[in-house]
Formats: sequence, C-alpha cells, structure tokens
Amino acid sequence: MRRTLFSLTALLFGAFPVLAADTITFGAAISITGKTAKEGEYTRDGYQFAIDKINEMGGIKVGGKVYKVALKYYDDETKPERSAQLFEKLINEDKVNLLLGPYGSSPTGTAAPIAERYRMPMVEANGAAEGVFNKGYKFSFMILSPAKLYLRGIIDLIRAKDPALKNVAILGENESFSKEVAAGAAEYAKEKGMQVVYDELYPTGAQDVSALLTAIKGKNADVILGSGHLQDSLLIVKTAKDLNVAPKAMGFSVGPSSPEFRENLKKNADYIFGATQWTDALRYKGTDPWSTPQAFATAFRATHPQYKVIPYQVAESAVAVITYKSAIEAAGTLDPGKVRDALAAIDLTTFYGRVKFDARGVNVFKPMAVEQLQPDGNKYTVWPEDVAEKPALFPMPAWDKR
Amino acid sequence: MSSAELSQIAVNALLLSGLLALVAVGFSLVWGIMNIVNLSHGAFIVMGAYLTYWMHELLHVDPFLSIPVSMAVLFALGYAVQRTVINQIMRAPLLATFLLTFGLEILIVNLLNFFFKADTRSVTTSYSGTGFTLGAVRIPYVRLFALLVSLTLVLLLGAFLNRSRLGRAIRATGMDIDAARLTGVQVGAIYALTFAIGSAFAGAAGSLLAMVIPFDPNLGGGYTERAFVICVLGGLGNVVNVLIGATIYAVVDVFVASRLPQLSQAVTFALLVVLLIVRPQGIAGRSLS
Repeated sequence: MRRTLFSLTALLFGAFPVLAADTITFGAAISITGKTAKEGEYTRDGYQFAIDKINEMGGIKVGGKVYKVALKYYDDETKPERSAQLFEKLINEDKVNLLLGPYGSSPTGTAAPIAERYRMPMVEANGAAEGVFNKGYKFSFMILSPAKLYLRGIIDLIRAKDPALKNVAILGENESFSKEVAAGAAEYAKEKGMQVVYDELYPTGAQDVSALLTAIKGKNADVILGSGHLQDSLLIVKTAKDLNVAPKAMGFSVGPSSPEFRENLKKNADYIFGATQWTDALRYKGTDPWSTPQAFATAFRATHPQYKVIPYQVAESAVAVITYKSAIEAAGTLDPGKVRDALAAIDLTTFYGRVKFDARGVNVFKPMAVEQLQPDGNKYTVWPEDVAEKPALFPMPAWDKR
Repeated sequence: MSSAELSQIAVNALLLSGLLALVAVGFSLVWGIMNIVNLSHGAFIVMGAYLTYWMHELLHVDPFLSIPVSMAVLFALGYAVQRTVINQIMRAPLLATFLLTFGLEILIVNLLNFFFKADTRSVTTSYSGTGFTLGAVRIPYVRLFALLVSLTLVLLLGAFLNRSRLGRAIRATGMDIDAARLTGVQVGAIYALTFAIGSAFAGAAGSLLAMVIPFDPNLGGGYTERAFVICVLGGLGNVVNVLIGATIYAVVDVFVASRLPQLSQAVTFALLVVLLIVRPQGIAGRSLS
C-alpha cells in the first residue's frame, strides 16, 4: 500500500515536470491594476505577443530540443513591495525558468535584488532609471535607453543641423528621473563642446516658470531643453511664447509624444522636439521575427484592434522576450547562469533598435528617437537620421514670424 | 542681473500677484468671516477652470466672457454646499472643519477625474501668447488682462464689503456673531452668502488660470496652499491684506526662482514659518484666530 502510494505520488509529481520541461516559462509581476494599470497592460500585451509569435514559429531551440514558451504573471497592483514578493513566489513556487521585468522604475528596483539573490536573469523593458543598475548587480538587464540618454538624440539632431550652435539651456524638474535626464543632457552637451548657459532645477508642481525663462532669455540660449512632466513642458512652451523667448530649437524628454501636447498648445506646438524610446515610424531593419517597426505595428494591430497607436511599452516588452530567445539559443541551455552570460554578450539588431548591454546591464547602445510636431498638424519621427521618417524642420521660426 | 532682466522679473511678479490675489481672496473671506479654513477652495478653482474650458471648447465662448458664468455657477454651488454640508460644522472645532473640507476636496477631485479624466487641458485662443514690448519688457496680453480683471474683482469685493449694507452685515457676522444677531442680521443666510461669494471668486480665479497654465483635476491642492500662505502673509480681515500677501508671495517666488528655482517653494514656505513665529497676525492684518 505504502509503495503504491509512493509510486503514485512520484508519478503525480514527476509527471508535471516532464510536461513542463517542454516549455520555457517566463515569470513577471506586472501592474495590471493600480496607478500604472494601463502601462502594465501594454507591458503584458507586449510580452504575450512576442511569446505567441515565437510559439507560432515553432518555439525556441535549446541544444537539439525545441521548447514552447509561456508567460506566468501576477498583478503587483502598482506596489513595488508587492512585486518583490511575487517575484520570489514565481521563482520558489512556480519554478519559472527566467524573469521578465515589471512595469516602472520602482518595482524594477525591488525586483532586481531578488533576481540577484536567486541568481536568475531578469530582462526588464520598463524602468529607465539607472540607479538600480549602478549597484553592481549581475543578473538584471535593461532593454531601454537609460534616462541620461533621453535628450541626447535632440542634441545630436540640432548639432547635425547647425554645428555652430553653442548655447544650451536646460530646465529640469527636481525629481529623480528628470534629474538624471537633465544631468545626462548637460554632460553630453559639454562633451560636444557646447556651452551650457543655464542649468537649473525647478520644484515639482511649479506653476510659474516666467522667472526661469526670463533668465534664459538673458543668456541668449540657442536651444532650450526641458526634462519634467507633461504639464511642465506645456507651461514652458506657453511661457516662452508669452515672454517671446525664441530659441532655434526646443525639446523635451516627456510631453511631445503625448497627443495632449498638441491638444493643449494647438499651433504653438509646432517645431518642438520630443524624445521617445521608439515609434512605429522608425526605419530599423532587424533580425527578429518582424524585422521592421511597421511590420511589428501591423502584426500587433491585427491581433489587438483596440490599439490605435502602438505604445512603445509594447515594443520594448516584446523585444525583451526576443532578446531572451537569442540568448537562450546562444547559450544552448536553460541554465540561468549560462543564459545570463549569453545576455551579457548579446548584440542584436531588432525592429526596436540595437540591443546590447554595457557592463552594468544597461542598453546604452540604442539611441533615443526624436519626434517633431510639424506645422501640417502631424508628428514625425525625425531622428536618428538614417532611420527617420522625415527630415526635421530647423530652426524654429520666431513666434511672430509664423 | 541686467536691468532689462530685473524689470522683466518685476513685471512678471506684478502680473502673477494679481492672479494670486484673486486665488486667495475667496479663501480669505471664508476664513475671516466663518472661521473655516476651506481646504476644498482649490477644487472650486479647478471647477471654474473646467467651466471656462468647456465653454471655450464646445460653445467657443471667449474665456474672459465666461468669467461671469463660472462665477454665477460657483456662487450657486457654493451656496448649496454651505447650506447642506458646511452648515453642519459652523462653530465646530477646527479639526472637524479640516476633515469636512478636505473630504469635500477629495470628492470633487475624484468626480472631476471620473467625468473629465486626468488629461491635461488648457484654453488656447488666437491671442494666447501674444503681447507687446515696452522698452526691454515683454507684456503678454492674457496675463495683463488677467491682472486687470483680478484687481477689478478684488476691489469690487472690497467696496461691497465696506460700503453695502449686506457687505457690512457680512463683516459684522465675522466680528461678533451675537451682536450681529441682536441687530437683526440673519446669520445663517450670511454664512451661506459668504461661502457662495468665496466660491464665486474661486471660480473666477479658475477661469483666469485656465488661460495661463495647463491644468488637470489635481491642480487645486497647490492653490489652496498658496491661498493659505497668502492669507498668513497678508493677514485676514480686509481685501487690501490679500493684495499685500499676494504681492509678497509673488515677488519672493519670482525673484527666488530667477536665481535659485529649486528653492522657490521652500523659501516662500520658510517665510510663512518665520512670519507665524514673529508676527502671527500677518504683515498687515489682525490676528488669525
């Protein structure tokens, strides 16, 4: 009797791993409810879309064997402490093979130490703050261009248009991500021989930036760069027009990519540059299953008709899965340590741009794209030049000469 | 600082002070007369902003012309809110008034979020951002008109409170409720009227702010804080005090922001703390209690 029970138990418990062994399961805690529910949904849809695509194409080849892929995720309710617990659960109880990141910089910050402790790789696609990557972790990888690169594309673009441009003014919100963005922009502008004539932070929720723009006006800035929230970017443009501050170019890390930017500013939004991780207008050609942003967008829209525009969160999340596929195939094993080493060595060209990690695990090799709102009422992807949709309009005409 | 920059900054501060005076005047009235620190004041301002926004968006009403409408709507709403809600806590302990008005603020903000979503809006007209240049100083029309409208409204309110019979009844109620009652003032009606006027002025401030800054349902809290600081700086009891408080606030905010923008809010609030210690009655006013 005891023996029967034992063999029955062995059979039961043994049977599942045999089934599961044919599947690679990615685990993630994602904000399906709470403050970033929408973005969490984009993240999940991106992961799942890439997983479905891989399965449709047969699966992932490891050694001589082909595996199907699956996603196991929990809702972290937009609570960073909850995501840490859920990642432990995914590793200990669900025995997932590899980890995908949560949505947002804070939960990424709490998930990374868990990945480290269990020595299990985590490829994250939705937390751009670099702080967590400066702690010497070995198992976390960031698909995104990090905060300090956000305004570089705009600086490169205007330098390409007019190499003689010298004076840059930078206004940043006094908040961790925006500060990283502003500091990165100032550092890069100086490196390129430009003069940073104004570099100040304003408090979160500032309602009057007239003093800052008056100061900038006195400095003859050729370029004004802002890093803050959408409302700050809107207020800076409004105030610049109020005070007739007319630089040759204006650009923001956050704001212009949102449709609200045009709705609020109407014609005054023209000529303004905005940084973005990715748009479906870029002309990248990759070795991934979709190869181009356009093909990715078309395929995604076909299965998700509720999406009018494809948010970049979907693209970067899909690319995280694709990156794993390449790394697993290169490693030839599912051993987390070996997959980690393959990730560290990866160099991919995808519809999303280049994926390659520096020693910290950050994808500093993908440039930020730049969008511009143009006078025909549309928004075009204008940088990087070789993959852009349309040339940028430069310089920005004076406010009264439009 | 060049003289051109200095004069521009001075003008910026002046333009801002008028707007802030209008933001604070209703708050000051309700606090001074009814002894209620109305934490939902900012939410009433945001409602005024939405009224102007929708009238401009749907009916193409010029935002300046929508000011009387938002004042009227907010007046009626304020009257109703006082009669039904605020009246429950007249002469209640301060904590009860905080809790109730704070709750009211949360309720209004959530309703606005529900109906209008958290999208950022602004009222952009054909003349938005246009202006004229006086020497080295640039003066935007919208901000200039906003200043004129604000000053006119604030001074009209002052005249109403000082000259009219009803205004004097309001002030009498604020000074000594029992004496006012003895002279035949209907205190209940006066309270409702006071709160309604405070709300109407919040509505006007919202209408003007909608033209000047991008807003969403959560904008109000910051303006309740500003109104509070202005009332403490200037002191209660008189619209002139509000003008003084608003001017000090704007000058400090704008001048600090021109050199150390990081500290602009910190310095204004530090000023508040210092003033509460050395001159709790405000720079010009009577005691706050």
